[in-house]
Amino acid sequence: MSAPCMHPSCLLLLLLVVCRHAHTNLVSVTENTTVTTEPPVETLSPITPPVAPLTPLQTGQKSVVLTGENHTEKVEVVNPVTLNLECVWTGDNKRLPNITGYWTKDGKTIESSYSNTQLQNDRYYLRKEFSIMSEEDLGTYSCIFGPKAKVDFILAAPYLGEMRDKPIVSYVGDSVVMICKMDEKKSKPINWNWYKHNGTSKEKIEVDSPGHRYKITKDEKKTKLVVHNLTESDSGVYFCGAVYGIGTSMGHMQLRVITYFEPLKPFLGILVEVLVLVAVILLYEKTGSKKENQSGPEGNPDQTSNLSHGENAVADGHSGTARQRKV
Amino acid sequence: MPPPATTNLGYTPPDGGWGWVVVLAAFISIGFSYAFPKSLTVYFKEIQEYFGVSYSEIAWVSSVMLATMYAAGPISSILVNRYGSRPVVIVGGFLVGVGMVSASFGTSIVHLYLCVGVIGGFGLAFNLQPALTIIGTYFQAKRPLANGLAMTGSPVVLFTLAPLNQFLFDSFGWRGSFLILGAIVLNCCVAGSLMRPVNKMVVFKPKTEPLEVNGAEEASGAEALRSEDSPKSQSCVHRFIDFSLFKHRGFLIYLVGNIILFFGFFAPVVFLAPYAKHQGIDEYSAAFLLSIFALSDMFIRPATGFIGNTRWIRPKIQYFFAFAVSYNGVCHLLCPLLPGYAGLVVYAVFFGFAFGMLSALLFETLMDLVGAKRFSTAVGLCTIIECGPVLLGPPMSGALVDIFGDYKYMYYTCGVFMLVPGLFFFIMHYFNYRKLEEEKHKEAVGMRTAEDTVHLNIGQKDKSEDEMEK
Repeated sequence: MSAPCMHPSCLLLLLLVVCRHAHTNLVSVTENTTVTTEPPVETLSPITPPVAPLTPLQTGQKSVVLTGENHTEKVEVVNPVTLNLECVWTGDNKRLPNITGYWTKDGKTIESSYSNTQLQNDRYYLRKEFSIMSEEDLGTYSCIFGPKAKVDFILAAPYLGEMRDKPIVSYVGDSVVMICKMDEKKSKPINWNWYKHNGTSKEKIEVDSPGHRYKITKDEKKTKLVVHNLTESDSGVYFCGAVYGIGTSMGHMQLRVITYFEPLKPFLGILVEVLVLVAVILLYEKTGSKKENQSGPEGNPDQTSNLSHGENAVADGHSGTARQRKV
Repeated sequence: MPPPATTNLGYTPPDGGWGWVVVLAAFISIGFSYAFPKSLTVYFKEIQEYFGVSYSEIAWVSSVMLATMYAAGPISSILVNRYGSRPVVIVGGFLVGVGMVSASFGTSIVHLYLCVGVIGGFGLAFNLQPALTIIGTYFQAKRPLANGLAMTGSPVVLFTLAPLNQFLFDSFGWRGSFLILGAIVLNCCVAGSLMRPVNKMVVFKPKTEPLEVNGAEEASGAEALRSEDSPKSQSCVHRFIDFSLFKHRGFLIYLVGNIILFFGFFAPVVFLAPYAKHQGIDEYSAAFLLSIFALSDMFIRPATGFIGNTRWIRPKIQYFFAFAVSYNGVCHLLCPLLPGYAGLVVYAVFFGFAFGMLSALLFETLMDLVGAKRFSTAVGLCTIIECGPVLLGPPMSGALVDIFGDYKYMYYTCGVFMLVPGLFFFIMHYFNYRKLEEEKHKEAVGMRTAEDTVHLNIGQKDKSEDEMEK
């Protein structure tokens, strides 16, 4: 914003632009503190529109040049925004006064982005303004200096919180609760949606579907899908989508529905093992004691001699005897 | 000449043979009793989501189980006194099994409280007390070693159950896991069937070791006999529970010290992982700390039993226990001063040693004080009274952490709660040992004069007989 505009229409335009930027300051750029990829290469600083309460990030890396080296930056986009991306490269040892740079989106070169960059303050700069309006505009934007250096900006809606990677197990006739959460620190979605994968595509789950088996609750940062009266066909992959201005962020989880027979098998196995062991131990004891009774008469002399031994030993200690007998 | 095994048992314990099988059985029972409530926490997150309740409501399941296990102590004691250890353990194992199986069909959180908490708790109580008691009947000379080995069951079973529970949960969800756990816990019945009542008829050759081992027990045994001889005008309850224990000096010392120390005993274990995470350590390394703790605990328990059995320590084993308690306290006081992950690893190792030492000696010292005959009743009374501190300890420590926002005050408090009883034990047992020596001396003197009187009478009788003959 340079010289003050006096004309009303100009003012209006200015106001509009300012308002638009003010609304779009929801773009958050993840703080890039330590980029220690193996021989780190370039110094880079992505910059966002000035109104955002964010300062340009300088990663401040050492500039050692290696071919083929690149860097990845994650950018969270919540609402439509005009994003100014800037790449700063400290260059290689050739120090060409001019090199060509260009931008790609998701690997495809943006034709109009070819430009010659000049060495300023010993750095090469590549800047481009991108209009991120809808879900198609999200993706990976890369700036490439000549054939050598590359920076990837991954633009995406906020990722969902930790999802369980192992399947959730439930039983036929039972119900199951599936939960999707958004991190506390991230912005809250406008809405939540649930989908079920039916072999080819995602099918949205409506609450009022026949049978009233589904129940969806939506809190600000959390959503719950409850499925009642499960059947084996309910097994599969379920998706939860957090809807933002820019698009939907998806998370997925797998449901496995099994019958009660599955845990019953190990249960019965262990039960049998316990019963067998108890029977064996008690039988062994019974037969052991029977043997003792049978060898009774022969064993008696031993016992009596033992007794006499014991008695002698006991009788040696005077004080203990009387007490012991009583007990 | 020192009197032989004055165990007041009326027989000489085998100190070996089938006794070692009984130790294995006790190992299983004690292991399940202590490790089972702790290992159930793996399922809590899913159950909490399933029933739509808060985490503290779900944590109550473990607390109810632990509380019932401690509170049902006296009932367990009565049953053991009446029927012996074996039937009680078998019934206990069966109860826990039934509790878990019915919980797997549960439809509300209250259902879980009742099935897992109350029924399961009773079952575990019927496992713990008898297992401890039967060791006292089978062992005398090697009792500390046997106790140490049996108490090792707790960390070993916990170490096994934790990954097993995770595996069951991933394969069968919480309902199926509860069903299978109900079957696994029935192995306590197998342990119970191994607990053959000791054969009191066969008198074994007594060992020739100088049995100076029952320092604290002898005179207390004398007291017990005197109280038993007192008129049988006692009520039904008195016949089963020996309230005269509250007049027993050693028992009172033990009880008072234990009540205080249990406030600070379990909390540091519960908060070890959260403390590590609070310091910025990642989840896996924090969980690894618990494994280090469990491993050092596992190895120190039999070692403590062995050391406690040596002839230098055995007579004064109460001091060893006091040392273990104080050592715990010192560990906790030093913990906040140790920096970083390495410091926490060192703390986990030393705390594991401290925790194991205390656990191995916990019941051995009680047996040493009251004798094997009254142990069953004593341990029942102890557990029901200790119920309070055991349950209140962790939440109180949690409150301390919440108020100050820092874990170090909690560690200092726990350290104090363990150091004070430790010193208390040292002082009180010094006086107790002295008093016991005095009483022993008096007894010996009393006996000698009684014998002299008898000899004198006999001599007089002979004389009078001689005179009459003449």
